[in-house]
Amino acid sequence: MTPGAESGTDGVRLSRNTFAGDFWANFKRWTVKSTRNPFFLFLSLIQPIIFLVLFTQVFGGVATGAINSGEASVSYTTYLVPAIAMQVALAAAASSGIGLVNDMEEGMFEKVLVSPMNRTAVFLGKTASELLLILIQIGIILVLGTVLGGEIATGFAGAIGIMAVGFLFSVWFVSLSNILAVVSRDQETTALGANIIQFPLLFISTAFLPLDALPGWIQTVAGFNPVTYGVDAARALVLGRDVMTVIELNAFGGIWDTLVPAVSVLLVLDVVVGGVAVYVLKSATSSSVR
Amino acid sequence: MSGTTNTSVSSSTEKGDGEGKTAAILIEGLKLTYSDGTEAVKDVTMEVPQGEFFGFLGPNGAGKTTTIKVLVTLLQPTGGRVEVNGFDVKSKAQEVRESIGYMPQETSVDEELTARENIRFACRAYGVPRERRAERIDELLELVDLADVGDKKSGGFSGGMKKRLDAAMALVHRPSLVFLDEPTTGLDPKARNELWDYFERINERGTTVLLTTQYLEEADHLCERLAVIRDGGIVARGSPSELKRRVGVEFLDVDVEGGRDTAREAAEVLRGEGIFGGDASVEVTDRGLSITANDARSRGSRLMVALDDAGIQVTGFDVREPTLDDVFLAVTDDETDVSGGEDAGSRQGGSE
Repeated sequence: MTPGAESGTDGVRLSRNTFAGDFWANFKRWTVKSTRNPFFLFLSLIQPIIFLVLFTQVFGGVATGAINSGEASVSYTTYLVPAIAMQVALAAAASSGIGLVNDMEEGMFEKVLVSPMNRTAVFLGKTASELLLILIQIGIILVLGTVLGGEIATGFAGAIGIMAVGFLFSVWFVSLSNILAVVSRDQETTALGANIIQFPLLFISTAFLPLDALPGWIQTVAGFNPVTYGVDAARALVLGRDVMTVIELNAFGGIWDTLVPAVSVLLVLDVVVGGVAVYVLKSATSSSVR
Repeated sequence: MSGTTNTSVSSSTEKGDGEGKTAAILIEGLKLTYSDGTEAVKDVTMEVPQGEFFGFLGPNGAGKTTTIKVLVTLLQPTGGRVEVNGFDVKSKAQEVRESIGYMPQETSVDEELTARENIRFACRAYGVPRERRAERIDELLELVDLADVGDKKSGGFSGGMKKRLDAAMALVHRPSLVFLDEPTTGLDPKARNELWDYFERINERGTTVLLTTQYLEEADHLCERLAVIRDGGIVARGSPSELKRRVGVEFLDVDVEGGRDTAREAAEVLRGEGIFGGDASVEVTDRGLSITANDARSRGSRLMVALDDAGIQVTGFDVREPTLDDVFLAVTDDETDVSGGEDAGSRQGGSE
């Protein structure tokens, strides 16, 4: 018989919590929450799918000329699939902060802080669940794109590569959404903030048209836009060739001339924005008097 | 479990006897000043022995919740010493977190999860071993009467059901100490009574409970001892009956036949016989007398005899003790200072 059963309390005990256990508890909680609301899961896919279908139908004829300057002919669907994959990542990542604010409003945030769980594991578990969801959504878009006539030149390995790019691309936006959440502590602001910057980010990038086809000032801005790097990396994998014109490299050959600089930029961005998010979350969970 | 500082409290006679045991809560000169200079807690000293049902009362903004937030490690004290289950809240925050349960003022359940899933998450959060989880979840659902809705999403629950679920989540690890911050605020009387039963049950099995409440009836019903906080400091402490005694008055209503005229006559008799001391107030009403005195109860029989001798017929007689409301008003009112020292050592001047 345990002492707890005898006295009705377990009393004070040494920690049985492990980092992995705490991670898993939170990963599971957030995953269950998102499956609990499948409507939301598919809702965030609807807009990108509408984009994929409408853009190929409406602009397909016009755009095909712009994207096929000199190179082997590529359908606009194929061209658009990597952009839509990144759009999905943006849309899903934007909801990360909403979950955090919701937890703050529901009091679950405080409840977690009072528990003996490791705080890093708490946030990693939540983020991992969200990233898994993003990977699944990117997978759905890739399958759908293929069904609609798109082709991934690098095959299945390339598709996995696109997911990896999507992962790297999501981290900074998930971080940004969480920073917004902690700073505003308001659901509407967090949702709106992330949604409002989504569209300019997408349009002022190489998502829908190649850099050369864009007006001069947009070309300049696109060079500083993270979406350009995510889309270019994914597109290199879809088309199987170097597509990056923002940073011209010939050192690695083929798709690597795009992948190496794009992935490097995304990594730096992830570390910087992620670092700010960690700092902001740390101060939000600190018990020091403010 | 060797080296544990927790000892089970098996009988009520042991309660309040802090000798040789670590106090569940030990606060010495707690200060909490926010960086903008607001002094939420100025100087709080109190001790709660293990197994006690302790009430922490005070008007809104008095520092109740801030003190609790310090105790549950959400806020670090800016001064003083605070130990929970023998662990310093600053340097041993992790140990404190493991050994306590906390039910915050705002209901906090994950509305997208079922009752069972909420409790399961809490089990994981508090490291309840896997093999004990299923049993404990069922036991807790049973205890808070949510077994039949265990697999329903908690978002659809009533306020009382959510509160009960919240309470269950605070107890998954069978903590030796739980903090209940205004647990019944906003609930209807039925839901409140259900929670009271539940709190009494967990206290009976040895759990120390620190409860804050705005309902004095609640504190009177549940708590063995109370502390009243005002403006960031403790202004009164003691058992509910001690505190009531410290307010020092009892209310005695005597109805006499003959209405106001006879009542006046009766008042004269009382004055002539000197039944009540100078601090008592005797008021003539339409029905008889309304007496406020420190010792109204013990003088009751002399009063009856005196009135009988004077040929005045008494038709009704009612003695009322002060309620905690009276205590609360007295100690939270600037004019009256009944702040005693430790325990019941110092009494208000008027009592014998």
